[in-house]
Amino acid sequence: MTGWNEKILDIDLTSGSIKTYPLDMNMARLFVGGRGLGGRLLWDLVGPGVDPLSPDNVLIFTNGPLTGTAYQTSNRFSVSTKSPLSGTILDANSGGFWGMQLKRTGYAALIVRGRSEKPVYIEIKGEQASIQNAAETWGLRVSEVTNKLGQDKNRRNVLCIGPAGEKLSRIAAIMNDGQRALGRGGSGAVMGSKNLKAIVVEGNQKTEISDPERYKFMVYETRKLLAASPLTSQALPEFGTAVMMNLVNNVGALATRNHQHNMFEGAEAISGETLSETYLVKNDACWACPIHCTRISKTGKTGEVEGPEFQTAWAFGAQCGIADLEAIIEANYLCNDLGFDTISAGSTVACAMELSEKGLVDSDLRFGRADLLSSTLEDMAYRRGLGVDMAEGSWRLAKQYGAPELSMSVKGLEMPAYDPRGMQGQGLLLATSNRGACHMRGNMLGLEVLGLPKLIDRFQIQGKSSYVILNQNSNAAIDSLVLCKFTSMGVADEYFARTLSAVTGIQYATGDMIKMGERVWNLERLYNLRAGFTSKDDTLPSRLLNEPAPDGPTKGWVVHLEPMLKEYYRARGWDANGVPTPQKLAELELKEL
Amino acid sequence: MIDERIYEMFREIGRDLYGQNMISSHGGNLSIRLGDKVIIKRRGAMLGALKPHDLIETRIDKNDSGVALASTELLVHRTIYKQTPALAVCHCHPRTAIAFSLSRDEIVPIDNEASYLLKKIPIVTEEFASGTPQMANKVASALQNYKIIMLRGHGSFSIGQTLDDAYFWSSTLEEACQIMLAAKLINEPFIEYRKMSEAYNKF
Repeated sequence: MTGWNEKILDIDLTSGSIKTYPLDMNMARLFVGGRGLGGRLLWDLVGPGVDPLSPDNVLIFTNGPLTGTAYQTSNRFSVSTKSPLSGTILDANSGGFWGMQLKRTGYAALIVRGRSEKPVYIEIKGEQASIQNAAETWGLRVSEVTNKLGQDKNRRNVLCIGPAGEKLSRIAAIMNDGQRALGRGGSGAVMGSKNLKAIVVEGNQKTEISDPERYKFMVYETRKLLAASPLTSQALPEFGTAVMMNLVNNVGALATRNHQHNMFEGAEAISGETLSETYLVKNDACWACPIHCTRISKTGKTGEVEGPEFQTAWAFGAQCGIADLEAIIEANYLCNDLGFDTISAGSTVACAMELSEKGLVDSDLRFGRADLLSSTLEDMAYRRGLGVDMAEGSWRLAKQYGAPELSMSVKGLEMPAYDPRGMQGQGLLLATSNRGACHMRGNMLGLEVLGLPKLIDRFQIQGKSSYVILNQNSNAAIDSLVLCKFTSMGVADEYFARTLSAVTGIQYATGDMIKMGERVWNLERLYNLRAGFTSKDDTLPSRLLNEPAPDGPTKGWVVHLEPMLKEYYRARGWDANGVPTPQKLAELELKEL
Repeated sequence: MIDERIYEMFREIGRDLYGQNMISSHGGNLSIRLGDKVIIKRRGAMLGALKPHDLIETRIDKNDSGVALASTELLVHRTIYKQTPALAVCHCHPRTAIAFSLSRDEIVPIDNEASYLLKKIPIVTEEFASGTPQMANKVASALQNYKIIMLRGHGSFSIGQTLDDAYFWSSTLEEACQIMLAAKLINEPFIEYRKMSEAYNKF
């Protein structure tokens, strides 16, 4: 079959065994790749009793049939594991070059299990894999280890952890190609728990395409649409993702000072527009991406570095009450080099700031203290002082100091930039997201703020669940392909389905692709239910449910979660407790789970 | 009780469909999906002048009392929701597009916008072109691969995430057909300006 690599590479770091075996092609048809395939493999490999930081947890790196074909944004890859931060099923995906290079080695998935006695790294050259001694790289920062292991943009690509992952911080990221992140949920700690410092890939296999003419047409049309969309051809290339800062602030939905406020007086100073006028050197792109949203910024302390993205500028900016872009760029760089998820790191700092201001923690941290960002991040990475507790993420930190309600998280994962009191659908999305509070599971920004594909009323309650569900299913499908969600700002789902059909030779109608996303969503739900989660976990921090937003156009609103959630369960075909019904599972070909 | 915001959405789009000659006084219908329910225009209501009580809520998968009040095209709307990811459906009678549907099996636009957005609009034929299960299945099946289709001699069905979306495809189709008609009247050789346009009829 074309599109897929039909082999899995399975490495056990405890025994040192390296195996390959065929990919189950029926599983591939149903779950495609990336998040879907990784989640399905994880279901079989990691049961509910497994401690995420034990040798029994696994890391599953996956690509998809489109990966490496040169279809727009087909550079991405995914990691699936059980999250040490939330205890939920976790997937995270990342761009750059590493994913395309993994596809070139000839494998559809790389499974890493067990725990090595000593630090090691994995090297995959073509189809040959080996386990190498990592004594010389253990302890190094991300930029150092990436260089030392021979990162070469298009030929040899390095994925690794930094000190945060080595020290098992539950908000540690896995980094690839230097400054790209598999950010959310603490996969870096899982890698650290295995004594695995890095994975280096080199390959040269090409992905075969079933219908080259049809594929070529879809590439051409996609390029045309991305070039025609002002978002993908102007806003993102010129200002990066931080172009959202003012837009979200203007509607009163920019979480500020640990969600105590919903508008930030310093938004303009940390916006994409300001970044472009000050520290931006140039833009850049992942492999096969025409959008070029990557920022290359420069400060006196950092030199030329990637970022910051919108969520990072928000996390260390509005959420911490900091309007100092230079300090934010430095914090972003430090997170990348130490190996932290920037959203969770910034939000944990914000949580510590509120705990300190309320006298619950003895620390100098206060909202606006940009001067303390760098030292705080270093303390978190190396687990010094208050950093010992902060490395555990905001929920465990706030609980430790007697105020768990001050952690702005869902299922333990820190929330993104949006204050859902001003975006009701986003509130439902964050409450129901399978890996915890994450906007990338079905972002309602398009419908509720940007008007993509059309603007709906952001305060509407009735009927909101339908939009959230469709977005969640669509995003699960895109994550399984594995493509960048920014393409969907210019291109509709039907293009992805047609491209998938052209590449694989299997006819996926748009509805088939969305159904695949629904299958993935329900699989993840089943995983979490099996792990002990219940409908009680589908909630938001009490602040957002009970304290009316104080500012601007959202003033007076709380999230009306209960009616939306009730409607959501029903519309999903789940029972009143949020459990998928047998009929729904049969419809999705998930009956055997 | 149907949210006032939802009513406003129906009212504005219904008014515009009528104002643009896309429907007759009582023709056409609109619906949105709310989970396992559908909100649809009342049978016999004027889309161009909808009142709050002209919207009916009923189940997608089975009948309830709402079916007694809903549009005669409820069946096709329900079938579309069962067979596609649509959250909104717009059915109207775009006159120029209907005229073209009488003499061809697909409409391939020649103007820039519709070429970008639609590429090709298939035309479905059904003997009883209104309210039958056969017609509903044919329309829904075609909409699995296209966001708008024509029912020969009857009108268009379009789908979207929002009513705006579905309405947009309908008005784009009619605009494209009017341009094709005008180009025919001008009757001068067509100068192809679109790269790879030969692939549109395979879309």
